[in-house]
Amino acid sequence: MKLSELKVGQTAKILSLSSKGAIKRRLMDMGVLSGEILRIEKVAPLGDPIDIVIKNYHLSLRKNEADEIEVEVIE
Amino acid sequence: MKRLTVAVAGNPNSGKSTLINAIAGTSLQVGNWPGVTVEKKMATLKIEDLTIKLVDLPGTYSLSPYTQEEVIARDFLVKEKPDIIIDVADSTNLERNLYLTVQLLELGIPVILALNIFDEAKKKGYEFDIVKLEELLGVKVIPTVATKKDGVEDILHYIKEFAEGKSVHSPKKIKYGDDIENSLKIIEEALKTSNPSILSLYPSRWLALKILEEDQLVLKETGINEDAYFLKKAKEHFINAHEEDIESILADIRYGIASGVTREILSKREVRRSDLTERIDRVVLNRYLGIPIFLTAMWLVFKIAFDFSSPLSDWIDSTISGVVTKWSKFVLETMGTPQWLVSLATEGVIAGVGAVLVFLPVIAVMMFIITFLEGSGYMARAAFVMDRLMHYIGLHGKSFIPMLLGFGCNVPSIYATRVLETERDRKLTAMLVPLMSCGARLPVYVIFIGAFFAQNAANVLWSLYVLGILMAVLLGLFLKRTLFKGFAPVFIMELPPYRVPVLRDLMVHTWQKLKHFVVKAGTYIFAVSIIMWFLLNTPYGVEKEHSILGRIGKTISPVFAPLGFGTWEASSSLVAGLIAKEVVVSTMAQIYVDDKGENKGESEAAEVNEEGRDENLKKETEMGFFEDLKETVISFAVAVRDSFVSLFSGLGIHSLKAEEDEEQKTLQSKLKGIFSPLSAYAFLVFVLLYWPCVVVGIAMRQEFGSWKLYGQTMIIHSVLAWLVAFLIFQGGKMLGF
Repeated sequence: MKLSELKVGQTAKILSLSSKGAIKRRLMDMGVLSGEILRIEKVAPLGDPIDIVIKNYHLSLRKNEADEIEVEVIE
Repeated sequence: MKRLTVAVAGNPNSGKSTLINAIAGTSLQVGNWPGVTVEKKMATLKIEDLTIKLVDLPGTYSLSPYTQEEVIARDFLVKEKPDIIIDVADSTNLERNLYLTVQLLELGIPVILALNIFDEAKKKGYEFDIVKLEELLGVKVIPTVATKKDGVEDILHYIKEFAEGKSVHSPKKIKYGDDIENSLKIIEEALKTSNPSILSLYPSRWLALKILEEDQLVLKETGINEDAYFLKKAKEHFINAHEEDIESILADIRYGIASGVTREILSKREVRRSDLTERIDRVVLNRYLGIPIFLTAMWLVFKIAFDFSSPLSDWIDSTISGVVTKWSKFVLETMGTPQWLVSLATEGVIAGVGAVLVFLPVIAVMMFIITFLEGSGYMARAAFVMDRLMHYIGLHGKSFIPMLLGFGCNVPSIYATRVLETERDRKLTAMLVPLMSCGARLPVYVIFIGAFFAQNAANVLWSLYVLGILMAVLLGLFLKRTLFKGFAPVFIMELPPYRVPVLRDLMVHTWQKLKHFVVKAGTYIFAVSIIMWFLLNTPYGVEKEHSILGRIGKTISPVFAPLGFGTWEASSSLVAGLIAKEVVVSTMAQIYVDDKGENKGESEAAEVNEEGRDENLKKETEMGFFEDLKETVISFAVAVRDSFVSLFSGLGIHSLKAEEDEEQKTLQSKLKGIFSPLSAYAFLVFVLLYWPCVVVGIAMRQEFGSWKLYGQTMIIHSVLAWLVAFLIFQGGKMLGF
């Protein structure tokens, strides 16, 4: 499923990124790589963006970008 | 005498600028990197016979060439070839910080790894094997706590040893695995034969790596074709072996190294303590509380920024236009200076100095607050909360704060666009900021509303502010599709831990901004003030109608006829409003309120009775000067008190309490004869929307390096103002107002 479809509190493993170019590189630079484990921490009060914990820090990204990240729920 | 160039690199939020401030303090020079809007800090330090040129690189997470900051950092490292790099890492988040370190090692330049925020990491229960870390990466590792200046001495000491050739560390060559090593070898060999000249410009292994990554900037600079034979050959065997593209493979490897090293040297004791940042965020980013808290925070920011600074600005303003002007006039007149020169000196020169100084309190307070918000980590949260709304008009969540501050004064808002990450966001925000109705427009509203809409004052005033916001939304939507088309702003942003900003950082930053403003902007503002004096006063002594400004007004007045105010008086005032929008009112007062002995009347009388006046003045002087001095000091004390009082008192925007004086009443009754309520409202709308004042333009030039953005803004906003005022006036007429 997509990262954008996860619920707050769920933990998932990244399967693949279908983003392109600069956005993909930026995501990878921030540690969003396949195989990485992440947790959905919060959703902004207006519903977008989301706050995830990855590599032991908080990263926020918009649902648009999260749409392009395939994940598999672990718990 | 030995010279070293030391580059300082590091992730954003790693405490890099705090460390730089701790090392260099006030000797930091702030400027821009050539041609871009990214801040460049430099300092020259001397330790005994060693001269160190310290260059602060923009904070980056990586050296990939996608953000302007990354390109700048990379270009400096590759082209200027610093002798050593200080890599500032956040010890509480080692793995992601080491990702950048790995890329720095690829350059082959010696690295000092400053494990910053070491105290917090310790508290969290992290233990570091520093010797092993040094060994694995081939770098010197120094734990630092920049906020307390811990480790600064060690860094300087090591740099000195390094300069003397006593360093034992040399950057480890990173192994990427057989596949890639083979490809790199092929590329390096090919370069040696085909482009030996290029190899002397770049570190060869780094160059090979970038060519393999198909780094577009490097390919372009070296003129190597993506389809070059050797490149195809280099890639062919692992394209078959891997599914991913080469960039992803390399990112994986680099992160693999970073996490491998982290695992080996870092151990964590179990500390039973919930994370403070997470506890705060549970409230601050809460679904229901998030927005109310954000709005409260913004209200506080706004209040502090403007209520605190405005008594001081008012004091500067009244001192300059009162006491200073009065006594300079006196001195000049006693010396027998011709009347026009006195007028130039007081209304041009001294008023010009005043125009610069008035901005200092608000810029100082605002920079202080912005730096505080950024340093504390709240800026990122504000962006997180507001992004949904701001994204709608093509902006980034962080744009909200400069926009909000625009309601006080647009000038510091332009400076505040620095908080944004991309040049596109900065420019678009800067272009929309002037639609936020600033404090200088208020005197214009007050006069007209008092004259025409006294019954409905609050509603009319409110409608102008709302109209400004509405126009910003529309213009944002429009610009997003036209001038700023194509670059979608991304929002992939770290939410850094909350930290208490260091006072020293806030002070240094604020001081630098002020210095910069006085030197760079001050000159222009001063010049404009003098030019405006000439426009209004040449030929000297004639009626305002025949001055240059009056004639300009007369020439362009037909443009405003369809808006309901096609008189030379109105158009001249609008032109004069280029200096500052409140000048629209003061110019109108000068033109309409027939010089009640203030300007022309006085000078004529003075010429007739120069002797007598001189004596009067002299008498006045003997007791007057010290009285005035005393009063100035007292009023300063009162202003300072008011600043602090206003911090704790309720809501009350200072400038709203514009005092009603005689001159104002006369002006209002004159205006009633010239404007109808409808044309008055159209005029206010025009004042709200038309070209932003020249100080905004100077700030734009300072931030964006050219007058282009101001030029575009002037045209777009003036056209917008004309159209909206036209619709209001003509529509209103049709509706029978």
